[in-house]
Amino acid sequence: MASKPIEDSADWLGTRLPRKEDLRLVTGGGKFLSDMVVPGMLHAVFVRSEHAHARIKGIDKSEAEAMPGVVAVYTGADTEHAFKSLDQPVLIPNLDAQYPKYHALAVGKVRYHGEPVAVVIARDKYTAEDAAELVDVDYEELPVVLDAEAALEDGATLVHEDATSNEMFAMTFTGGETPEEQAANDAEVEKIFASADVVVSERFRVHRTGVTPMEPRGVLCEWNDSDGLTAYITTQRPHIDRLAIVDVLDLPAEKVRVVAPRDMGGGFGIKAPFYRENIVIAYAAKDLGRPVRWVESRYEAQMNIGQERDQVNDMEVAATKDGELLAVRNRGVANNGVGCIGVYWGFVMPFLGAVELPNAYTWHRGDVKLRVASTNKASLTPSRAFGHFPTRFALERSIDMVAHKIGMEPCELRRKNLIPQLPYTSVTGEYYDSGDFIGVWDNLMAQIDLEAFRKEQAEARKEGRYLGIGFGCGVELSGVASELMVPMENQPGYGAASVRIEPRGKVFVFGGDAPSGQGHETTTAQAVASIFGIDPEDVVVTTGDTTTTPFGSGSIGARNGSYYVSAVAKACEELKDKITRILAHDFEIEAHKQHFDFKNGEIVYQGDPTKRKGFRDAVERIIMWPINLPEGDVGGLETTAFFEADKPMICFNADCCIVEVNAETGAFHIKRWVTSEDVGNVINPNIVDGQMHGAIVQGLSNTVFEEYIYDEQGQQMSADFEHYKIATAADVPDFEVTYAPTPCPHTPLGTRGIGEGRPSSIPGALTNAVCDALLPFGIEITELPMRPHNIWRKIRESGKA
Amino acid sequence: MPTIKVTVNGESYEETVPERMLLSDFLREQLALTGTHIGCTYEGVCGACTIHLDGEAVKSCLMLAVQADGHAITTIEGLRGDELTLLQAAFKENHALQCGFCTPGILMNMAEFLEKNPNPTDEEIRHGLVGNLCRCTGYAHIVKAVREAAKSA
Repeated sequence: MASKPIEDSADWLGTRLPRKEDLRLVTGGGKFLSDMVVPGMLHAVFVRSEHAHARIKGIDKSEAEAMPGVVAVYTGADTEHAFKSLDQPVLIPNLDAQYPKYHALAVGKVRYHGEPVAVVIARDKYTAEDAAELVDVDYEELPVVLDAEAALEDGATLVHEDATSNEMFAMTFTGGETPEEQAANDAEVEKIFASADVVVSERFRVHRTGVTPMEPRGVLCEWNDSDGLTAYITTQRPHIDRLAIVDVLDLPAEKVRVVAPRDMGGGFGIKAPFYRENIVIAYAAKDLGRPVRWVESRYEAQMNIGQERDQVNDMEVAATKDGELLAVRNRGVANNGVGCIGVYWGFVMPFLGAVELPNAYTWHRGDVKLRVASTNKASLTPSRAFGHFPTRFALERSIDMVAHKIGMEPCELRRKNLIPQLPYTSVTGEYYDSGDFIGVWDNLMAQIDLEAFRKEQAEARKEGRYLGIGFGCGVELSGVASELMVPMENQPGYGAASVRIEPRGKVFVFGGDAPSGQGHETTTAQAVASIFGIDPEDVVVTTGDTTTTPFGSGSIGARNGSYYVSAVAKACEELKDKITRILAHDFEIEAHKQHFDFKNGEIVYQGDPTKRKGFRDAVERIIMWPINLPEGDVGGLETTAFFEADKPMICFNADCCIVEVNAETGAFHIKRWVTSEDVGNVINPNIVDGQMHGAIVQGLSNTVFEEYIYDEQGQQMSADFEHYKIATAADVPDFEVTYAPTPCPHTPLGTRGIGEGRPSSIPGALTNAVCDALLPFGIEITELPMRPHNIWRKIRESGKA
Repeated sequence: MPTIKVTVNGESYEETVPERMLLSDFLREQLALTGTHIGCTYEGVCGACTIHLDGEAVKSCLMLAVQADGHAITTIEGLRGDELTLLQAAFKENHALQCGFCTPGILMNMAEFLEKNPNPTDEEIRHGLVGNLCRCTGYAHIVKAVREAAKSA
């Protein structure tokens, strides 16, 4: 759809406006970090650990240093006292855990394959690569611990020697704050299980998988003695990175500026933590007084980032024979890897995964406990569907298993137990603010003729064809309020935006978050254009520069549509107050904001449409000719607003998929994928559709294809895209994405933040469909990835093949 | 170091390059044509570095710059003339990109694909795209944009 003409300016919200970002991106004009070059720039290449666990006996860097073109080589021993370790308060959540001490470059020992050990700085990239090969690290191998449950056993090799055990974090999420309250709750849950008609009890495993943005990480740092450090970082949260650099390098806070490049090649969570490479490059730039750039290779990325999930959940569900869900009990064990990443430490993801476990159902009680183990793998890093991909899989599968036991349609069982009215607080204490779960569900079912499908399925089975239908749903966080963000990440949750109107009527917006493809420039412009009745072309959005933008906790957890856009709207409304106050004064009328329409580039007094003024004229008068103003007013039109929600907000979705499984090979084919979404008021339907498509495919790809594999020595075996298979266009279907939106009552535009948690319902829906197809074989899938050969084996093992 | 003669986006270059320099690095670093992207381990899987070599879509990370000696190259920067191509316009209109990192490679691949197959089915488009990885879009809008571009040609 082409841009709407200006006459429609009131309708910018909800318009399929082509994105402002796209012209540069379809012509090769994007400026990503690896495209940024500054004069005299040096290139950094990291030397990374070849072992999963080994003592560093010594490093001989002399040969590398002697290579022509090499400017410097730094090791852990060189830098141990040059800056602090990364366990600084700004990077530590308010959660009780054993936080490991670690330095940017490994000191003493390495704890996973790929850990940075040294860095070579050279005049060109090829020389740096060659010299890195010449850095000779003398390792003494140590026993490795890779399995989470083995890591938690008494006497297991310690990953972090300063810890008392490998149990980095453990928590009970149900029953109350005190051990006594929790024990009493556990006893009540046990009573429910003891007397329940039906109990499903299963061990669910989800492999190590996550996200791989097409652009890996990168850092470019410049230092000069008067301004200090400017660090360009591929980051979703520049303001947090700035504080971390200040604290770790012990620099004066006014001497550090962090900029997230305007164009970033995806993030999906992995650009949210604070990484040790940032510190190394910043230090090198300062120490050498020369600009230094590091561009992560895919090989490095696969060894260090994008690894999540990796969890075992022993889940039990109690229900009545009529399909009323009573209680859920879960014992989760997460494989954290080393946990050495700032802000998240790996375990924050499984922590939230346990919080989000109950999903959209009315449990009478729950007993949810989690243990998180340190192992000699890369740290878990945040990945879209942050933390709850494994627990959602387990829960959505368990619900189908209950349905199979009592002979009820899984979709009916779900509907029967959906939370009928919001707000609601789950058994793990998660607050669901608003929405209509039943409405979303009924909209989904309206897209499907279940009866016809069951007939078709029965007919097909007679021919030896196995069709199946699967369902899943997901309550997802729509941004994170300070109430949860402060304890979880030691950071605020509010959204912040500065809005500046310039004399020619153009509007500049400055946001401290840093998008990586979500289209903030466009959606922000649509929101501003809608409020001021101007064209989105007249709105310019700047993000990610800590010098020019207000503090923001970053582009994380679907904050844009909830917190950030709300702050933008609030700032615009404040400016509108001033504009209309001065306009009423000039017109010599008693009128307030609500008495004026901002439309089609004009501001019109409703009481007398002859009293009107062009938007540009009105703002120019206030900025350039600030005389004869109402008493107490001064000129100028610029403000910063902060938006905070009292309580966390949510969005909700439901999925249905139809598959056909070849019972002879285990191969399956997705025939149809239908969704129903409550995304609140939509700013740009194209962008929301795109978020859904992308999230669903990430979920599918995680469920079926992707898997980070370590061998028994802890060697990362899937460090490229040949071995880490990602879904291609030919692997995935088209989607029928439908909407049943309810406006969010807590945001000024009724919008919800969407897209982050969205992949979480996918593994359940897809595996449920395959199990439904294979019901004659009595197969229940409990492990991911779900690959044809695994299905084939289960069919063979069923004895019914 | 050898000297190579190449035409890139219609412009002639005579450049000295190390023998081992990848064509992708030559374009990005020596000619500052940074629209050609690197998304994988120079293994030819992600397709973000796709360019046209004498009109043929190739992955520039799988070639050395010296191998391009005497050839004509088009990169994403040279895909359009004064106006966006129908394909580029269709990507913009149909929201076929999010972060845009994979987009140049996809456009270069699909531009050649549509020349060879002006009326593709969706299935053919999807198979035509297997050499390009996209992590944001789920491919649906990309398929739609290619289809729309074919229709409007």
